Amino acid sequence: MDATPFLTLSALLFTIGAVGVLVRRNAIVVFMCVELMLNATNLALVTFARVHGQLDGQVAAFFVMVVAAAEVVVGLAIIVSIFRARRSISVDDASLLKY
Amino acid sequence: MNEFIAPTVEYAELSPLLIVLGAAVVGVTLEAFLPRRGRHRIQVVFTLVALVAALLATGWVAAGLDEVEGASGRGLIAAEGAIAVDGPSVFMWGVLLVFSIISVMLFAERRIEGGVSAFAGQAAALPGTEAEREASRQGIEHTEVFPLVLFAIGGMLLFPASNDLLTMFIALEVLSLPLYLLCGLARRRRLISQEAAMKYFLLGAFSSAFFVYGIALVYGYAGSFTLADIHAAVDNNTGSTNLLLAGMGLIAVGLLFKVSAAPFHAWTPDVYQGAPTPVTGFMAACTKLAAFGALLRVFYVAFGGAQWDWRPMIWVVAALTMAIGAVVALTQSDIKRMLAYSSIAHAGFLLVGFAGAYGGDGITSLQSVLFYLAAYGFSTIGAFAVVMLVRDPGGEATHLSRWAGLGKTSPLVAGVFAFFMLAFAGIPLTSGFTSKWTVFSAAWAGGAWPLVLLAVGMSAVAAYFYVRVIVLMFFSDPVVDGPTVSVPSLFTSSALVVAVVATVVLGILPGPVLDLAQQAGAFVR
Amino acid sequence: MTPELVVFWLLSVLTVASAVMVVSTPHVVHAALWLVVTLGAVAGCFLVLTAEFVAWVQVLIYVGAVVVLLLFALMLTRSPASTTGATSRNRPVAAFAGFSTFGVLAVVLTSGFRGIVLDLDSQPDQLGGAAPPERIGDTRSVGEAIFTHWVLAFEVLSVILLAALIGAIVVSGRVRDRDRQEAAAGGGS
Repeated sequence: MDATPFLTLSALLFTIGAVGVLVRRNAIVVFMCVELMLNATNLALVTFARVHGQLDGQVAAFFVMVVAAAEVVVGLAIIVSIFRARRSISVDDASLLKY
Repeated sequence: MNEFIAPTVEYAELSPLLIVLGAAVVGVTLEAFLPRRGRHRIQVVFTLVALVAALLATGWVAAGLDEVEGASGRGLIAAEGAIAVDGPSVFMWGVLLVFSIISVMLFAERRIEGGVSAFAGQAAALPGTEAEREASRQGIEHTEVFPLVLFAIGGMLLFPASNDLLTMFIALEVLSLPLYLLCGLARRRRLISQEAAMKYFLLGAFSSAFFVYGIALVYGYAGSFTLADIHAAVDNNTGSTNLLLAGMGLIAVGLLFKVSAAPFHAWTPDVYQGAPTPVTGFMAACTKLAAFGALLRVFYVAFGGAQWDWRPMIWVVAALTMAIGAVVALTQSDIKRMLAYSSIAHAGFLLVGFAGAYGGDGITSLQSVLFYLAAYGFSTIGAFAVVMLVRDPGGEATHLSRWAGLGKTSPLVAGVFAFFMLAFAGIPLTSGFTSKWTVFSAAWAGGAWPLVLLAVGMSAVAAYFYVRVIVLMFFSDPVVDGPTVSVPSLFTSSALVVAVVATVVLGILPGPVLDLAQQAGAFVR
Repeated sequence: MTPELVVFWLLSVLTVASAVMVVSTPHVVHAALWLVVTLGAVAGCFLVLTAEFVAWVQVLIYVGAVVVLLLFALMLTRSPASTTGATSRNRPVAAFAGFSTFGVLAVVLTSGFRGIVLDLDSQPDQLGGAAPPERIGDTRSVGEAIFTHWVLAFEVLSVILLAALIGAIVVSGRVRDRDRQEAAAGGGS
């Protein structure tokens, strides 16, 4: 079967994730959208691995997943601590830092 | 069943990296076993010893690098192709470790906060509650910052030395994750600090998603992550050019975010302002160095054959970065934000050197950028160390109006700060002048003269706001009950002395360090 | 239409639909649950591409660990589930950015790979890959690649996990009682 549908799906998923990061206000949902982008990356990596008949792309997808897991741990720790301090995790409310 | 062939890892050549990461792991273990009293002192000593050991190992590795046949560089590709231990790598390792030692000395400063460090006593305690005050009173503090900073340093050592894009991505995360956390640990102004951590984290995760998608596209183009294979694919023009261009663009987004180049600079002022000042200094010097090293390696080694495609993009970004950094800095009223915009402007000057992509006789673009990074790092750590000293009862006095007349009340501190400002402005006899001169002349030799002219103009604009601070400190009247200047402990004082001496020496006698940068030669692929 | 193609089209419709729900649903817990559907469908795509190991790791790490963590965080922060202000005002900008990104990426990817046929049954050594002659993507072959060529990156990944763990404890952990007593006894050294 053709490689194009997989790559188009990956591009679409990446775009949906990127739009989500820009429009959502809840920090955790923003972070979920970043996860969508990383998943799109993994799909592209695995497809390319298949196109080139190699394993490297699959190994890369595995590594990206592990990195994403570490990012979740750090990110949620930061987000939960900021929530405990100010009872809101809206990205727009975080505005003590102004120009 | 085929036999498993064990990989070869060149432990000797990788020793600086292994020492730093190993020390981080041991540091975590120390946290678990040492009693809380004295833990701070032991962690500081242990971290500094590890960094000095890694620095010595770097010198030893640098002395033993062999010439590569048929190429201009020295070095080797180690660990199954994951790391290039070459001249530029060891130069950056050396400079990074020196900066790290100075920064850790600032991290260790306890006297100016009255016996506690600049980091939150208990990050989990809510700001302004009894629990927080109690933690403060009892002198409870997070000594985990030292292992965390060692993790970040390990990532920074790996980042500019990685020889394939996947290792580079992982190194990027190793250096970023601890920094996200360190940003949120300021003792004073907890809310701003936490907010800085969240902004840095969300934008950082967003940009690294772009970076890794770019890696995927380049992998699709070249069929390999290794920089040398990508170089070969670019030369042979194997795949679709569109794919290469999109991949390069996305990788550039990720890296330019880390060097805080416009239009990906929005996080810089917020994070520099909110983070604890020692961390800000560390980020300004070390993250910038590591990220520029990686940027140069990817674009010179992997995409060198396509430089007519990426140079226009870098020209635009460099011009925009200089303009935004220099112009917006004029409007700042907070000293840390002003230094943040100054660091954006300096990223622009560095990009000018990068955009020149000159590789002929004399000082190449790579060597000039390496020298600039070394010179800039000392001054910027020094400037942030001075910011730590000027204090109000509520913490650091970062509002610019509070600094008025500081030259009359404490001439020494104001003089040192003024000296760093002059170095940033690029006044002769400071390191700022020599480094700007080498970068601009390399860029000129590479044919980027319009950009150099713009850069000189922007240096003049930037000089205006640096001089404005000096005028404010020395020629206006002191504010009533103005900030006090704390007397720091030996750690901060020696860090400041090192920064001042380095800024003077690199300005008057840049020869030895320039020679070192020139000996670093070129990247090995 | 081959069976793979039918399965793929079903999965891709599911992926896109659930991803759109993640981005658009006002209820944050629903967003997390839709994310499970997306991740599962992507795992299915990996299986179609014969990347078995990656597919199962996707299920274990993402669906099993990441989403559970996200749900915990959502519960801890008790975010309001109301529709008001779930999305910020920069919608038109985001829509424009989204459409242009997708346009560029789709053109780039399809122009680069039009007509490239994925031979899902072939052995990798016929394709000239460096993989051992098992089926590409099974646990054994991925494991060998990780522990030979990618060993350094793999070891550094373990360092990332340790750093993330320590960092999360620093940000959210409380000082132990033993330490508190010690500090009190020491008079705040």
